[in-house]
Amino acid sequence: MAAPLEGVHVLDLSWVMVGPASARYLADMGADVIKVESSKRLDPVRTLGPFKDGKFGPERSVSYHNLNAGKRCIAIDIRRPEGREIVLRLTDWADVVLESFTPGVLETLHLGYADLRNRNDRIIMASTSLLGQTGPYAKGTSGVGTMGAAMSGATYQIGWPDREPTGPWGPWTDAVTPRFIVASILAALHRRSRTGEGCYLDVAQAEAGIQFMMPAYYEYAANGTIPERRGIAGSPIQAPQGVYPCRGEDRWIAIDGSHPAHWDALRGLIGGELREAKFDTIIGRLRNRAALDETIVSWTHEQEVGAIEHRLQAAGVPSHVVSRGGDLARDADLLEAGHLHKINDPVFGDADIEGPRFSLSRTGLHPTRRGPRIGEHTTEVLAAVLGMSQAEIAQLDNSGVLV
Amino acid sequence: MLDDARVLEVSAPETMLAGRMLADLGADVVVIEPPAGSPGRRLAPFLGDIPGIERSLTWQALNYNKRGVTIELSSVDGKALMRDLATRFDVVIEAAGGVGRSPLDSIEFSPRTIRCTVAPFVRTGPKREYAATDFTVMAASGAPAMTGDLDRPPLFFPVPQAMMEAGADAAIATLAGLIARDRDGVGQRAGVSARIAAMMSAFGLALVPGSGNADSKRTQGAMVVAGVQVPSVYECADGFALITIGFGPVFGQMTQRLAKWAAEEGRMDRRIAETSWSSFVSDLMAGKASPQDLQVLVDGLKSLARSKSKAEIAEASRRLGLLAAPVMNMKDVADYEQYRERGLFARVSLNAGREIDAPVRFAQFSNYSIEIKRPAPKLSEHSAEIFEAELGLSKAEIQALFVAGAI
Repeated sequence: MAAPLEGVHVLDLSWVMVGPASARYLADMGADVIKVESSKRLDPVRTLGPFKDGKFGPERSVSYHNLNAGKRCIAIDIRRPEGREIVLRLTDWADVVLESFTPGVLETLHLGYADLRNRNDRIIMASTSLLGQTGPYAKGTSGVGTMGAAMSGATYQIGWPDREPTGPWGPWTDAVTPRFIVASILAALHRRSRTGEGCYLDVAQAEAGIQFMMPAYYEYAANGTIPERRGIAGSPIQAPQGVYPCRGEDRWIAIDGSHPAHWDALRGLIGGELREAKFDTIIGRLRNRAALDETIVSWTHEQEVGAIEHRLQAAGVPSHVVSRGGDLARDADLLEAGHLHKINDPVFGDADIEGPRFSLSRTGLHPTRRGPRIGEHTTEVLAAVLGMSQAEIAQLDNSGVLV
Repeated sequence: MLDDARVLEVSAPETMLAGRMLADLGADVVVIEPPAGSPGRRLAPFLGDIPGIERSLTWQALNYNKRGVTIELSSVDGKALMRDLATRFDVVIEAAGGVGRSPLDSIEFSPRTIRCTVAPFVRTGPKREYAATDFTVMAASGAPAMTGDLDRPPLFFPVPQAMMEAGADAAIATLAGLIARDRDGVGQRAGVSARIAAMMSAFGLALVPGSGNADSKRTQGAMVVAGVQVPSVYECADGFALITIGFGPVFGQMTQRLAKWAAEEGRMDRRIAETSWSSFVSDLMAGKASPQDLQVLVDGLKSLARSKSKAEIAEASRRLGLLAAPVMNMKDVADYEQYRERGLFARVSLNAGREIDAPVRFAQFSNYSIEIKRPAPKLSEHSAEIFEAELGLSKAEIQALFVAGAI
């Protein structure tokens, strides 16, 4: 059975994370994705780790594979007229184009939406950038996902009150934004299948981040309260809910015993001081939260974190190891689902990358493959997709376009 | 764009964003709650800090553009209603634990139905019976272990995130099912694990050991480079600013411009601005650069940041092309002229005549616009309307269902 986007053609002009991760969703759904890259303008994600065996190299970034799994890659210099012509011819072939240039750059290359639509009026084109394509600060503004997190209100709220905010880990909006891009593209594809209409869509990464922070935004907008960073994990009105230290260095178990049934289960398991009457009610647990947490810590801190998770789960208490990378790599849930896939790369050998983020029972999704090397499919794409002869390709190569 | 798509959302925290994204993109979404109200109505914060079934701001933020009915799915009458209603819709979205744990499992849906189920862990996997909440699912994602300072416990988002991550991926999974059905008319089951969805925000953390690297440590508050503490966030005149010192060919150029700005402002020796930050790491290893230079840069940036406002730092970042941004609080977000003038916000009514500007346009389209069509439904607001229009039930029959506790 064909995966949902089998036969859909995607031209991926984007780089780093947001655009490539969006196109990866489409590749997982079966789309034929051609990524345009250039060794003169390396995708910066090739300079970000983890690198296989910790050795730096543009073809050794595992993150690159994770973001570009299953795509083909052509290496061209799109600033050259011949390179631009290749992009336009690929636009004729494409159903979807993704780009993440600094707003305004594609227009100066005459590869903006107006140019592409002239070639293919059914095209669905998605642009993504820190602040979007319109508004007073859009043009010329570039940025990364840590800046998106800062401008979406997330960074401000994560940290310890006695220190500067630390913000979420990594370039957070790079993880959030692809969801809104992909959902919008799929909706546009659905409409196009009925009406034939193409579409241009523009997603600002900082704005996408706000979507995941909506309750905090509403708290300000409706109540006038600016949500501040609290530090300590867990809700101030739910207890017990938090992280508790376990044996070993930086090992933590997350326990949420705030629901009455879960509290009963936790109390039954740990017993001892937790049976004291002052912890009987939620009001009692909140008023005596320090003592409550201390009692739980006295139970957790000498135990091994995985063993605690099993004991708590056997008793029906929501809990999980605060997973580190090594825990994830060994996690039974992820291994069983086949979420971590072994890829074999001709340059560096074996590594794990992630599989798709959801499953479909009937059509399935595309099997997870490695990402492409720089320009790995240049000849194949120019010949098979654009119908160029070997002589034409050789001429482009000799004139330095295929770099 | 989805104006021909009809969605039933059996409300749970993990379905709310899914249903709303589909509704924003044009689908007719009907949210189904138990007669006592969806668990999403009990999520903080609350309007005026006073709790109530119609006062959850999280509910308000994630349910506008939907209509709402109540159905008691554990009852025979409720199941029959659900089954009949589903024949009139294309999509059913729900949240459930392991296989066999959904109240919908005993209902036979049409082969055309796309049924998307969100579960905390993989529904067939070894953790399928795990007791889980948003908090513990986030712990399982890997992101909190990396968030915060190593001398203190891991940090979590103050806003539940697993429900956002899972909801967004459920919207995508549903749309994938819809597009497959556009081709051959046949529906299917879609499955989302909230844990795997949330791992998107842990980036490649799970891949670190499998690629022959030592496990990562939480170092985000202040990265240590050559013994120098390099902060990511600096105190500025009216709050905080994110300022990133990057190295290498692309990001090192930005550090160069940052250092030049600090020197021009008299906050740092000009010699530091002339240091090659692109090659700093390799120069350090070759003994051609000194960690002391990095310390001077950090100290200079601290002094520079304290003399500037968030707006001034934002302006300099745009003008000079820096890895720097204001750390906005929610008031800054609400007031930011870029978001305002670009059209991010639309007016939405809450409860008791209250209205706010909500950041609704997560994407802007050439030939579509996300609009507020209706506020979040009150409990059972559209029950009578929908049961009559979709199922042809009489007024007496609808009252009978209510009296029997099925709606």
